[in-house]
Amino acid sequence: MENNEQLERFFEQMKKQDEELHIPPFPEYKTKRMNLWIPAGIAASLTLVGLIMHEPQPLPEAPNEVLIITLQEGENNEQEFTIEEKAYLDVWESPTASLLTDY
Amino acid sequence: MNRKQLDHILKSYHREAYIWARQCCAFDDELAKDVLQQVYLKILEGNAKLKDIEKAKTWLFSIIRYTAIDQFRKQGKVISLDESYEVEDFKEEIDQTDYQAIIQLLPKMQQEVILMVFYHQMTIEQSAEVLQIGLGTARTHYDRGKKKLKELITKVQIQEDYGK
Repeated sequence: MENNEQLERFFEQMKKQDEELHIPPFPEYKTKRMNLWIPAGIAASLTLVGLIMHEPQPLPEAPNEVLIITLQEGENNEQEFTIEEKAYLDVWESPTASLLTDY
Repeated sequence: MNRKQLDHILKSYHREAYIWARQCCAFDDELAKDVLQQVYLKILEGNAKLKDIEKAKTWLFSIIRYTAIDQFRKQGKVISLDESYEVEDFKEEIDQTDYQAIIQLLPKMQQEVILMVFYHQMTIEQSAEVLQIGLGTARTHYDRGKKKLKELITKVQIQEDYGK
């Protein structure tokens, strides 16, 4: 049988003294609940602004004339540029196009 | 476990939790408040989860103890784990009603086991769980702490009677 009377008395007195202690109140923690209407409203406003601001723009028209600059080897083995002016790109034929058909 | 249940458990243990936090913080009120605040945040943010509702008190005490140790470490304070058995001569006179000063003369682990058993009415098994040590080790701390505290109480009484 343990004789803890002395210790029990000691702790009883200690507890009595602690009754005078100021215990801080239990803190209230609030969970941050986001109101879903706020982000939904922001998203809707942004979509609306986007629709208003973004007017369909006409596609740029193709240029009437196209400059074709070709680098060619001249008579004296010199590199020279030839500049041609065509109505549109589809009339231009690649100088190496024949390679595609020959092989 | 939902937030409401957790809130209810924490509220029901709040007083004891604060007193234990204070005891773990060398009876420093401000530090105990900080520690308890951190403990509640850890729990409510889900960083410490209660698995067994039956062990709520042990679980809460364990979190408080580790948070207090952590706080001490951050402040650069060292907790002595000296387990020397001899009761050292205390230079200053200690009032026999200065229970906090007397209990603090015990080595830290003995102090904690004794406080949990005698003050907080826990079993040695529960205190072993809080301290995360084996039951045998907890029993050793308990026996040594008890013996040492008895000696201290007697010594303080003699000192006070002799002084009169």
